[in-house]
Amino acid sequence: MIIAGGKVFDSKMQDRILSVMERKINMTLSGNALDPQKVISAIDRLGRDIGKGKYDSLIYALPVDEPGRYKLLASQMLTRENLELKLKTELPSPPEAIGGVNGRIMPLGVIFHIAAGNMDGLPAFSIAEGLLTGNINILKLPQADNGLSVEIINRILDYEPSLADYIYVFDTPSSDINAMRKMADMADGIAVWGGDEAVRAVRQLAPVSAKLIEWGHKLGFVYISRTYAEGIMQDELEALAKHIVSTKQLLCSSCQVIYMDTENDIDLHRFCRRFLPVLNKAVSANAPVSIGGKAHKALLERTDLLEGFIRGKKEPGRYKGNGCSLIVCRDSELELSPMMCNVLVKKLPRRDIVSVLRRKKGYLQTAGILCGEEEYGTLSEIFARCGVTRITKPGDMSGYFSGEAHDGEYPLTRYVRVVNEII
Amino acid sequence: MKYRNKLFSVKNPYDVSGTEQLFARAAAENCYFHYTNCKEYRRILKGLGFDPGEIITFDKNTAESIPFIPTTLFKRHKMFSMPRCRMPIKATSSGTSGGNISEIGFDAGSLLCGLKMVLKVGSKRGLFSPVPCNYILMGYKPHRGNRTAVTKTATGATLFTPCLSKTYILKYRDGKYVPDFEGVISAIKRCSRSCFPGRFMGFPAYTYFLLKMMEDRGIRVKMPKGSKILLGGGWKQFYSEKADKKTVYRLSEKILGIGEENIIEFFGAVEHPILYCDCEKHHFHIPAYSRVIIRDPVTLEPLKKGEIGLVNLITPMVKATPVLSVMTDDLGVIRDNCGCGIKSPYLEIIGRVAPDSIKTCAAGAEEIMKKIQL
Repeated sequence: MIIAGGKVFDSKMQDRILSVMERKINMTLSGNALDPQKVISAIDRLGRDIGKGKYDSLIYALPVDEPGRYKLLASQMLTRENLELKLKTELPSPPEAIGGVNGRIMPLGVIFHIAAGNMDGLPAFSIAEGLLTGNINILKLPQADNGLSVEIINRILDYEPSLADYIYVFDTPSSDINAMRKMADMADGIAVWGGDEAVRAVRQLAPVSAKLIEWGHKLGFVYISRTYAEGIMQDELEALAKHIVSTKQLLCSSCQVIYMDTENDIDLHRFCRRFLPVLNKAVSANAPVSIGGKAHKALLERTDLLEGFIRGKKEPGRYKGNGCSLIVCRDSELELSPMMCNVLVKKLPRRDIVSVLRRKKGYLQTAGILCGEEEYGTLSEIFARCGVTRITKPGDMSGYFSGEAHDGEYPLTRYVRVVNEII
Repeated sequence: MKYRNKLFSVKNPYDVSGTEQLFARAAAENCYFHYTNCKEYRRILKGLGFDPGEIITFDKNTAESIPFIPTTLFKRHKMFSMPRCRMPIKATSSGTSGGNISEIGFDAGSLLCGLKMVLKVGSKRGLFSPVPCNYILMGYKPHRGNRTAVTKTATGATLFTPCLSKTYILKYRDGKYVPDFEGVISAIKRCSRSCFPGRFMGFPAYTYFLLKMMEDRGIRVKMPKGSKILLGGGWKQFYSEKADKKTVYRLSEKILGIGEENIIEFFGAVEHPILYCDCEKHHFHIPAYSRVIIRDPVTLEPLKKGEIGLVNLITPMVKATPVLSVMTDDLGVIRDNCGCGIKSPYLEIIGRVAPDSIKTCAAGAEEIMKKIQL
């Protein structure tokens, strides 16, 4: 399935469409610029329709635990106020002409979006960012796309048909290198969402002339300060447990490792004994309801049980709950946990923070801090200097906050350029 | 392994009810063998408090009582019951890139049993013929680095009849496999002009793409009489391509002139290397060499016929690896009364556990997901 010029075509038309696309794009570029207000109106209308329940059948069909939360989030994000705030925060306002030089913010031109299927609706979101900045967008759908993105894009086109020349959608498989390269060659910028493998593949594919806009996969962690460890409030632990269970540790912002500011393993074990029942409770409150989900859980538990027999002795550092576990580690590396509510617990004395975290530079994203008020400033400063881009309370690690940057950058600035006119 | 050999020598490959006792004895014999020779298997059985020496009744319930191992565990731990030098074949599941894949060894005896099984099951469906054939293989062209079972079965299937030519759809180029549809299409055109029948063999998905591509380009041929399409793959293809099956039937008639009656599907998995071949009604009957127990998704206790649950597959075929009783990540149901004449019940796969793709953006998680996604 292909969308081009506001019309839907069969995939077999791909080569024919690609062969005339450059000419079409050039025509669009020689016409009038895209008015961001049109884009905002269309997206705002979409958000309101989502809020009214017009898309409930699609949203509730998503394979996610809390479709209701998705709906709420979408209708909050897609409002005129939020979009205008986004434009205002993220795009630099044109500077006053200085000494005969003025600056204008212009779209990059053509953006080729390669969206991994790691979040429902993400491809549509990526396109929306491209449209807000006035770009022409070519989207390669992820293979695992469930049709949500196409539905959203079609709706936006219904609301605002004049966007037709700014949206091209292809369901080309990544293995069709020829077609991918043709799309990349037409682009001023390539936005890629995905893991290391996807990013590496795009770097190989991209022409030198194209700007790469990479949204790679990241890691999140929690840090508990030495003085605070004893006095952590129950509700803080509950919020952390809820975060772990609700994201299943699958997100960039999810907590993979709980760090404690200590040199002593005893502190880690003490923490685990206190936290495990809290995590257990959160897991059972979120138990799967579908037959597939239940079966998946039963199978994993059976596998774990048998693996335990193979390994022989009980692993000393593993606190096994029901569908979750805490794993006390000897090292301090920031790494991916086994996920699905299996959290690593490690020592990280304050003096080692920089050296440990720097080893994962480029992958750092969210740090959830539990510490006293008096320590917060110093700690957040250290994390920020290491390369962490979001600092929150543990319960808020995966929350969405209007106006926040994405992996340390305002996305829209990456989709635009500054044109100087020297008068 | 005298009971195993007897079981694989029974005349009717679908005589499930007549082989209950024999199957139970073969299973007990196999269980005891692995218990004695595989350290990991022994630990598992001891952990569960199961001693194969205590099996004294041999009936329908024996197989059910033998502990089942989730297939994931074979991805996490290599388990062998004999030295590797005594395994002529080690097959791996067709995992994509890297990831964790299971490695299952096969002893010479199990291969012999496998051969008997293929001969019996295959001849029920008219797979064997003295007439030579041209083969189009929708799978990997073997090379030294590829040990996936699919390669082996695809190549092995060319032994069903004398082979005139072989064309593979996946070619190894610059260190990876790429589909070569163009090469295959010209081979098909060539084969259609031959006076010998052609056989298509391999992944349903590739067959589907190939037919679609030929349809799009308006290519139509009339394959010689006796040509067949053999569709096979892992259990996964069993249902994920279901929607496309009718299309494949329709397209093959239209594009290749091969009717639905000449499309034969079969499935197997390295963890349960029993050939499941469809009947004329496209149902997968349980062969005498295999037993299927559907288990409750929560308690893992056996369910009654007609109830949906996790699919537990049992076979005493393999000595090299303890795949006696494995639990797949498929949800299925057993049904009776197919009406095709085969008496044994048939297995229908309903779907996989959990959502098909777990979405993640945590760094490094995509690779890991492949391991823990069962």
